[in-house]
Amino acid sequence: MSSPEDIARARQLKELEPLHEAWSNWTHARQSLEETLPLMQDPDPTMRTLASEEFTSLTHTLSTHISTTFPSLLVPPSSTRDLHALLELKAGVGGSEAALFLLDLLRVYVRYAGSVGWRTSIIQSSETESGGMRDAILEIKGEGAYDALRWESGVHRVQRVPATESSGRTHTSTVAVIVLPLSEDAESMSGNDELFKMEDVKVEVMRARGAGGQHVNKTESAVRLTHTPTGITVSMQDERSQHQNKRRAFQVLRARLMDVKLSQDIANRRATRRNLVRTADRSEKIRTYNYAQDRVTDHRIGLSLMNLTSFLEGDGVQDFLDALRRNWQEEVMEDVVGESE
Amino acid sequence: MPSDGITAVKQLFTRLVYSLGRETATRELKWMKQALIASHSPTLAAMLQRRLSGEPLQYILGTTPFGPLDLLTRPPTLIPRPETEDWTLRLADMLTPTPVRPLTVLDLCTGTGCIPLLLCHLWPPGSTRAYGVDISQHAIRLAADNAARCNIPSFQPAPYSQNVFIPVLGDLRDPDVFKRLLPPFDIITANPPYIPKREYDKLPVSVKNYEDPAALLGDPPDSEEQDGLTFYRLISKILRQKGMLRDGSIVALEVGRAQADAVEGILQQSAGLRNTQVWKDPWNVKRVVLARA
Repeated sequence: MSSPEDIARARQLKELEPLHEAWSNWTHARQSLEETLPLMQDPDPTMRTLASEEFTSLTHTLSTHISTTFPSLLVPPSSTRDLHALLELKAGVGGSEAALFLLDLLRVYVRYAGSVGWRTSIIQSSETESGGMRDAILEIKGEGAYDALRWESGVHRVQRVPATESSGRTHTSTVAVIVLPLSEDAESMSGNDELFKMEDVKVEVMRARGAGGQHVNKTESAVRLTHTPTGITVSMQDERSQHQNKRRAFQVLRARLMDVKLSQDIANRRATRRNLVRTADRSEKIRTYNYAQDRVTDHRIGLSLMNLTSFLEGDGVQDFLDALRRNWQEEVMEDVVGESE
Repeated sequence: MPSDGITAVKQLFTRLVYSLGRETATRELKWMKQALIASHSPTLAAMLQRRLSGEPLQYILGTTPFGPLDLLTRPPTLIPRPETEDWTLRLADMLTPTPVRPLTVLDLCTGTGCIPLLLCHLWPPGSTRAYGVDISQHAIRLAADNAARCNIPSFQPAPYSQNVFIPVLGDLRDPDVFKRLLPPFDIITANPPYIPKREYDKLPVSVKNYEDPAALLGDPPDSEEQDGLTFYRLISKILRQKGMLRDGSIVALEVGRAQADAVEGILQQSAGLRNTQVWKDPWNVKRVVLARA
């Protein structure tokens, strides 16, 4: 049994790990460099060559520490680092082609989550007759899922010739993605915490059942929640169980409310310290998938990946997530530095 | 599923859309596919065909959710309804038995055993001993199978650390049935047959042609009263028997639309339970009469 203090201490230790690792690597590299310097004057030419190679590699290590590793440690640990994620996808312009692309994107995220060891389940989807999906909600359970994926929020645009297009004309369609934060206890149906009060949530069952009870054995399990103060509504009908739909609906409601709260926190912080970090505007087009040019471009950081297949079938999404995280860290760093001036 | 014949499935599905509406038909098709993956036995076309002829989805799939439980459903035993699920969850929330202060539950006309099984599942281990009485052998067998499915022992003596649900074959008109079950009971629940004959005749095919009339029809054909309330009068007699209830015992009876006031009156007058209230279901129909001894 570990006490809460033990857990807190263990967590603190874990958080200090990167700092400790960076510092030991730095001191180790410096020591090696000092040992290498005399060897560069060695009478043996082979030894001089080896030493010079060593010197180049060590100076590179040290300068990386100064330019990247140490500054990145300035970024305060994320307050959302434990959270899981809900991914909401909605087909935008482009009709059935957008619905097909939604399915492609959904597969990318499911595969990526699987490769990281996160568990996924599609908690809501509406399929179209052409085999695509009009919308979907993907639950991703795994610590850090929200932090890793939150940059995926925004409009994703695809430019390709639809399978159904006989004239070979390129179409442009879009899918809107929203990444929501999901806490461990999000399925709880009791309220009265920081996110909402139970009395503010109206729970409605959908559709009339006539006399109901023994008179009717039709499956009718759809549920709708309305959070009165914000006007947020959540409808769930994918499960056969009303109980289960209600649980899911509360999960989505909590995620949306937490999302609102996090955005507000960021806005407040920006107001107080003139923060430079941009917030994601969710109607903003963030990425283009161009099939003719076999290219994926992220418009926020100007990164292009020349191999669409590696994005859709492989782990190309990792490159974008890494780049976006670095970009965010740099913005936070600038902010921290700016604040201390 | 190449053996199904994709065209056949498409045609059947189109007809199902016509009969249930696109949204419902699409969802039901999805659930059938999920059940297929789980069982491998019938084909999708066969399932659609059965659904089209009016068979309830729950019999085709073989299960129905009930709160967090997934219960077996077999014809002709009454399929658990969402209204019953709702009030059972509410009842479970209202009381908090513990192993130190355990409760005894008696469920009349238990059917699949859904009500006592959900209570046994939700309440702490070792806090609940439940009996479920039904006149149908099908129901009693199904209730025992469901207990096994929910990992709730259905035999005596069970370990004290577990909740127990014991299905009992018996007729409510037999006064000796309950003596074997160690009254008094802390909670008596029932979802007795409550549909009057004139309404029964107009029921949808999926109810009338597939579910046991004995679980639906509120009055025997030779009964003078045809208001669907025969079982409530019978239950009131049982409640009135000496030693059935103790002070503070709770009675919860599901009722049909527009029956709540009459059943409240029966409980007050013939069972002498003055402290009553009525619960509405999620569709705003008065669904349960609750009484406290």
